[in-house]
Amino acid sequence: MLSAWNNIKLRNAVLQILYVGGFVALIVTLIVMGRTNLQEQGIISGFDFLWKATGWEVSFSLIEFTSRDPYWLVLVVGLLNTLFLGVIGLVLATVIGVIIGMARTSANDLARLLGATYVEIFRNIPLIVQVFFWYAVVTRFPGPRQAINVGDSLFLSSRGLYAPGLNITGLSAFLGIVAFLTGLGVIVWVSSAQQFRRMEPARKSRLRWLILLVAFVVTTVIFWIGRLPDTTLVSMPALKGLNFRGGIRVSTELSAMAISIAIYGGAYIAEIVRGGFKSVGRGQIEAAQSVGLTNWQVFSRIRFPLALRAMLPILANQYVWLIKATTMGIAIGFTDFFMVVSTAINQSGQTLELLGILMGGFLIINFTLAAVLNRINRAIALKGDQLRT
Amino acid sequence: MTQTVEPAIIIRGMNKFYGSFQALKNIDLTVEQGERIVICGPSGSGKSTLIRCINHLEAHQSGDIAVLGTPLDNNIANIDEIRREVGMVFQHFNLFPHMTVLENCALAPMLVRKWPRAKAEEMAMQYLEKVKIPDQAEKFPGQLSGGQQQRVAIARSLSMQPKVLLFDEPTSALDPEMISEVLDVMVSLANDGMTMLCVTHEMGFARQVADRVIFMDEGEIIEQNPPEEFFGNPQNERTQQFLSQILGR
Repeated sequence: MLSAWNNIKLRNAVLQILYVGGFVALIVTLIVMGRTNLQEQGIISGFDFLWKATGWEVSFSLIEFTSRDPYWLVLVVGLLNTLFLGVIGLVLATVIGVIIGMARTSANDLARLLGATYVEIFRNIPLIVQVFFWYAVVTRFPGPRQAINVGDSLFLSSRGLYAPGLNITGLSAFLGIVAFLTGLGVIVWVSSAQQFRRMEPARKSRLRWLILLVAFVVTTVIFWIGRLPDTTLVSMPALKGLNFRGGIRVSTELSAMAISIAIYGGAYIAEIVRGGFKSVGRGQIEAAQSVGLTNWQVFSRIRFPLALRAMLPILANQYVWLIKATTMGIAIGFTDFFMVVSTAINQSGQTLELLGILMGGFLIINFTLAAVLNRINRAIALKGDQLRT
Repeated sequence: MTQTVEPAIIIRGMNKFYGSFQALKNIDLTVEQGERIVICGPSGSGKSTLIRCINHLEAHQSGDIAVLGTPLDNNIANIDEIRREVGMVFQHFNLFPHMTVLENCALAPMLVRKWPRAKAEEMAMQYLEKVKIPDQAEKFPGQLSGGQQQRVAIARSLSMQPKVLLFDEPTSALDPEMISEVLDVMVSLANDGMTMLCVTHEMGFARQVADRVIFMDEGEIIEQNPPEEFFGNPQNERTQQFLSQILGR
């Protein structure tokens, strides 16, 4: 018997069974206890409430929503708002991060000083404080009548930012944006995929421009088909009475959140970008110079591709973090996923179900994001283990 | 009208400083086309800095450098022109790790010489055959041994069809058994008539192929002579001391 226990395979199998069995028992106990407690408080658990009308409105929605619409739709509204803010925030944060990160690795003393100052200021102030600060800034713009007018098309006011928009249906706006993003995705794929690796550089460049042109034309056609009857295609905001009509309005809450995430995230991404560029060996750059590549060719063919490989794993981490940071929107009343779930909990009392949906939603968003970035990372990883730098 | 071939490299009164430290002192050197030169000297003597000034990986502060008739000044077009004609092989190979061996070799001919891919790759394959690793063309640098990587680096330089090749301690980072495979390639290049400047401690190589051996110490050219003279009858005390250390005599 003792000798059987000394068998490493048998012992591992027994320990594994005990471990899994204990874990399953714990989960079952928790669920049973939770249900019993809820029933004693008179709350019926389950997801039937999702099909009931909410009876309340949301302040910002990308899709049509009224108080007669059901709970599941308000959750979709919140999820879309979170994704919308997340995409804007991540794109802007990446742009800022690349600019500041490049400035910090530049040979210019002033650029390095400005970059370092930016990072030290915005990385060291808590995000929630920055959110309140930018919300205070954007709500202190003048009222609509005294709005700051940029070329009669952009208006900055305390009610939000008004910009030219298109008189098109929501569906065609969505499809058009998807079509354009697909085009950009195809360009990235053509630039990096193994199948196109051996194409002539000049032909590849022409192909990329062609794809961009096609994406642009397709998007325009989709917008044109989806235009609203009896209106001009482009809708300009104009002051009518006490407020603006026409164009699109970016709410102060969304602006404040997008600015905060872009600036705060930009500081962190700048450090990742700086680290990525620092990791590229001087030797590779000198080798590229010695065979006659121009500065731009050294950057685009050697420095950037190598820096990106060093950045990507950490960047994935940062992106996931920033998506979670969108939940700070609840502090200033931006109707993101967290905020609609929290309101729904107050109104319906289905706390555990709604929290489960909230957690599941973020899990799916971030898992997908991380999976995509990891896939790219694997595809471009350097091969072999004999490298010296 | 002169019929004489212009020298490959002319350096006149060149000085190089790192801050207040003078790395190169009043260097005068003329290299004829087809000439094979070995530069040796103790560590920190400025030999690497000297050849790195020739393709402007390091900027010199005063004096004149001209490569194949093109003056090396602040004109970017001139720097690019010189780099197109001067190849360099580094101590640590410095291959592009995200590209295959073939792509490493074909990149510059495509981007700089504007050759179509087919021509660039065909030429690259010829040079990979010359350094005896055509079968590794589709591998990545990280999958090769040090000696193979250095031979790829030589093929990468040759793919630009340079008129001058600079070698910066090409065998110093290699394991002993891989040194000869790289030296064999260098000897065969020398026999083809390539203009070469090699910073190296491989004195056997110097004896075998060099037209001239240059000894440097503390940023100065101390002595330069054909190998028989240099090794057989060194004039300067510092040269004698260096040779006795490196050759163990």
